[in-house]
Amino acid sequence: MFSRRTWRNFDIVLLVTVLLLLVYGTAMVGSATQGAEDLRNLWQRHAINAVSGLVLMLLVAAIDYRFYESLDRLLYILIVASLLVLLALGEVTQGVQRWIGANAIQPSELAKVVVILGLAKLLADRDGQMDRMRNLLVSLGYVLVPMMLIYLQPNLSTAVTIGLIWLMMVLMAGARLLHLAVLALGGIIISPLFWLTLKEYMRDRILLFLNPASNPDTYYNVQQALISIGSGGLLGKGFASGTQSQLRFLRVRHTDYIFSVIGEELGLVGALVLLGLFTLLIWRVLRVAAMVNDPFGRLVCVGVASIIFIQAAINIGVNLGLLPVTGLPLPFVSYGGSSLWTFLIALGLVESVAMRYKKLDFE
Amino acid sequence: MTQYEVKLRLFLFRALVTLVFLALAFQTWYLQVARGDEYRILADQNRFREVILEAPRGVMYDRNGNLLVRNRPIYNLVVIPAYLPADRTERARVLARLAEWLDIPITTQRSPGDAMALRVSGPFPRGRSGAPWDRPAGDGIGGRGVLPASGVLEMVEQASLIAPYQPIVLKKDLDAALAAKIAEENVNLPGVHIETQAQRDYLTGSLTAHVIGYTGAIPPTLVDEYKAKGYAANDAVGLAGLELQYEDILRSFKGRETIEVDVTGRKLRSVGEPTLPQPGHNLKLTLDTELQRIVVKALEKGIRNTERRAGVAIAMDPRTGQILAMASLPSFDNNLFIGGISVRDYMALSQDRRRPLVNHAIAGLYPPGSVYKIIPALGALEEGVVTPDTIIIDEGVLWLPNKFFPDDPELAQPFYCWYREGHGRVNFIRALAVSCDVYFYYISGGYEPSGFRGLGIDRLVYYADLFGMGQPTGVDLPGEAAGLVPTPKWKRLNYAETWVTGDTYNMGIGQGFVLVTPLQILNAYAAIANGGLLYQPYLVQEILDAEGHVIETHRPQVIRNLLDYVSSDNLALVQQGLRAVTAPGGTAEELDVPGIAVAGKTGTAEFCDKYPQCLDKDGRVKTSHAWFVGYAPADNPEIAVIAFVYGGGEGSLVAAPIVAEILRGYFGQPSEQDQIEATPTPLPPGAPPAGASFVARLLGSDSWGQPGTAVTGFVLDRQGMPVAGVKVSLVADTENASWEDPLVSQATSGPTGQFEFTNLGKEISRQWRLELPDYSMAAPLSIEIEEGHRYLVEFQGQW
Repeated sequence: MFSRRTWRNFDIVLLVTVLLLLVYGTAMVGSATQGAEDLRNLWQRHAINAVSGLVLMLLVAAIDYRFYESLDRLLYILIVASLLVLLALGEVTQGVQRWIGANAIQPSELAKVVVILGLAKLLADRDGQMDRMRNLLVSLGYVLVPMMLIYLQPNLSTAVTIGLIWLMMVLMAGARLLHLAVLALGGIIISPLFWLTLKEYMRDRILLFLNPASNPDTYYNVQQALISIGSGGLLGKGFASGTQSQLRFLRVRHTDYIFSVIGEELGLVGALVLLGLFTLLIWRVLRVAAMVNDPFGRLVCVGVASIIFIQAAINIGVNLGLLPVTGLPLPFVSYGGSSLWTFLIALGLVESVAMRYKKLDFE
Repeated sequence: MTQYEVKLRLFLFRALVTLVFLALAFQTWYLQVARGDEYRILADQNRFREVILEAPRGVMYDRNGNLLVRNRPIYNLVVIPAYLPADRTERARVLARLAEWLDIPITTQRSPGDAMALRVSGPFPRGRSGAPWDRPAGDGIGGRGVLPASGVLEMVEQASLIAPYQPIVLKKDLDAALAAKIAEENVNLPGVHIETQAQRDYLTGSLTAHVIGYTGAIPPTLVDEYKAKGYAANDAVGLAGLELQYEDILRSFKGRETIEVDVTGRKLRSVGEPTLPQPGHNLKLTLDTELQRIVVKALEKGIRNTERRAGVAIAMDPRTGQILAMASLPSFDNNLFIGGISVRDYMALSQDRRRPLVNHAIAGLYPPGSVYKIIPALGALEEGVVTPDTIIIDEGVLWLPNKFFPDDPELAQPFYCWYREGHGRVNFIRALAVSCDVYFYYISGGYEPSGFRGLGIDRLVYYADLFGMGQPTGVDLPGEAAGLVPTPKWKRLNYAETWVTGDTYNMGIGQGFVLVTPLQILNAYAAIANGGLLYQPYLVQEILDAEGHVIETHRPQVIRNLLDYVSSDNLALVQQGLRAVTAPGGTAEELDVPGIAVAGKTGTAEFCDKYPQCLDKDGRVKTSHAWFVGYAPADNPEIAVIAFVYGGGEGSLVAAPIVAEILRGYFGQPSEQDQIEATPTPLPPGAPPAGASFVARLLGSDSWGQPGTAVTGFVLDRQGMPVAGVKVSLVADTENASWEDPLVSQATSGPTGQFEFTNLGKEISRQWRLELPDYSMAAPLSIEIEEGHRYLVEFQGQW
């Protein structure tokens, strides 16, 4: 398991890309928080989270991914159970409950990885048969359970993210566009019914999601993000010198709006570097997917590429005022332990696949 | 799946990623490069703020240096909705505290019915209800920044929807103690601030309201004019009195500074050079507050028993034209206009038919009656119409023959003397002393049957003009009336009638068409008193800058010297006649100012403001204004005084005692009332009893635009009335042992209860203590001083 031969295929480029993103993120978290007394040392915690996440990644990579394949049911049951527990606690406290264990772990973050693994297994078992509607519906049912539980937390954006992961993965597993179109049509037809079953506050939440400008706070945040990015110009105002972020006009700037800080302080150049790093990362993950013959390994990589792509695109889209405000963090860059670890574990899975994609390496 | 299909789908994935990221990159470019300039401006608008630096408006002192008008610091409670706690219960807690402190309901929206009930609570809501009486007006009515009648919650919520980062004023002019308490608890009240503002404070209120005037919002019709002079739309400007007359002198100039702020609006640094504000200049008036008090009191007493209870009294120094006191009753409290007068108060003042807002001393036009007689008197002597010894026989009535039928006695018109029995043989001096009307009919209009040639209307007009009748005196107050000197031409134009001898008769005794202001008459008598110099009266003697340097001195201005037109002998004869008025046999023989020779003239001017109620059963006018104007000491006059009582009746009975009372006060003699009610205790009224205790308070501080530090304050009794003559010591509160005698300065409260210490040296001590050496204090008052600040303190008596 720790033999040199195995590690020979470890994707160094992938690791370096991630390291660059982590350093970039730590620096920007530091810049974004230095103006606020209570947040001043956050970049150190972010760095510690990154280092521990990297260790986790290596540990995950060290284990043969086929072992995870065998764990899919167990992990699925565990994550559904913990989401149920969380929901029960949430019912008790009448509030939004996303955390377990003193703000340490968000089960919904880990659920993403579990869904990727489980879905990859399910789809791999039906390799070449995903052009059947029945199989497509089975896979949809598989993700709908955790999606609903997460939606009820309520955490609509993560639920939507999982839905998009499913979409990307079934597409890559050979689902037919016609079937998906039928499903979408069906969804549109039953959505009024679905709407009727919702309670008043749930409807409000969805309406707010679709039209965040109706909330003055959200509207203010988006406006300030646009001003931050727009005022950055080509080269930016300089690291730790953004007036919007340093004078705190930009809010939640170390998490949801970290891209705006980059846009303001490092300008178009900084934003393009970030987009370039993400493109490279996704490229490398998909390179592994293309090389591996095993459908499970391939679909795991597809899943990981999807989640990075979806979250990065949504987060940056929100920052640029293109998408409704969601609260999804920017992978590897935004401050936040659970999210960071989730993504690094996901990359660990990809590395594990990369290291073992040939059944027999010549001895 | 075939290998081909796998590769194809992965290729499509990459294509999707590429497309999406390219779209994001394009949008970033669009925001940063294509629209970058626009967003850079917005970012600068976020962080740069131009703040206005305020400087105080000029203040006013009386001739003895007592403060009459000052700028009082007021405290406003301000809320920035965005910084209130986000947590609902925390937020509710903060709002509940505010509601409790401010005595405003938390919410008025319990149910629609309730809200309606609360909205119609009084006949004159202070808010903008849209009702006709509630429209904004330029003359200071309505006011600025009045909040709608709703609860704290509604005000905050309404504001947070529009501009959550804009501070809103929840309550103006908080009690100083409450403001201090809220400021102390500020840590626990995020989003709540206390803002300080300077506000006008008229210390003498209604006593001097007509002279000082008031400030208010710029009148809508003059907005452009004021804007051209650099005023902002919501600036307060002088609207009446000296506040209006000297607006250009009193006004302060705002400074401007650009600062960089963070999201909470906290100043981080200044950007560039600020333009510093300039405080307004101060005025030193000719007014003597003490005398003003005496004048108002005497006038109040004099009008007490009249129907209208309205009148005017003015005191002037005849040697300079300086006005020492000027009162027009009824008066009003000009403090009501500060921050916008309420509709109720304004209605009350504007609907009073006596027009309390008008300064009748300069704007009231009345028939002068006999006080006018000095004009034909001097004219007749000068023109040789009479000599001092010319005797005219007064039989109580003069029959003026009809112009066309001079031989028909049936058609002759009677002109009566006020004394129906007739004064008999009357010479010049006696004519003035007894105010013989027939004498003045003769010298004004002549008497054809006996071949006596009078002055005639043209020469009468000439002498009236000489004394300044029919022209504003030019006193430094706005709204002065010119009066009226009627001429044949005037009568033709206004009545389409020819001037007749009867008109000249009437004019000779100050009746008929003649109209004067009280100030015009006083000014004419001051010219007689000083030997012929007709001065331009004035109220402001010095203009001082904020550091107290005199930058302009107003010297007496002579309009004309009567001696250029008349002989001094004739003037002296008029003086003699006026002196005889108060002598035995004169109309004001009962005028009692012990030891002081007073010269003067009574006047009883018939008028009719309600026809026919003003007529008696014989068809004669029975209502009359009471006049008396005089000066003293008669041989070396230092004060000239006029009293006018609207509809007061006999001048000698009603107006003369007022002038006597004022002169007694001026010459330091006890007033009539004091003579009767004199108490054995020599203490002045209001003096604190021995062993009285005081509570001391620091009311606030402002930066007064001067380098030194000052402490000013008031000693008040329990009712808030000023207490004079209380000693106040200022002691350096320092542990510096080398300072052996810590008592540094002592002051005594003046007639307005005010005392002042200037130039407290910071190098002596940063900490100073105020003490009352003769009385006890509940707790010592200690002030930590800062350079360039002025501190306002108050001692309130507890007896």
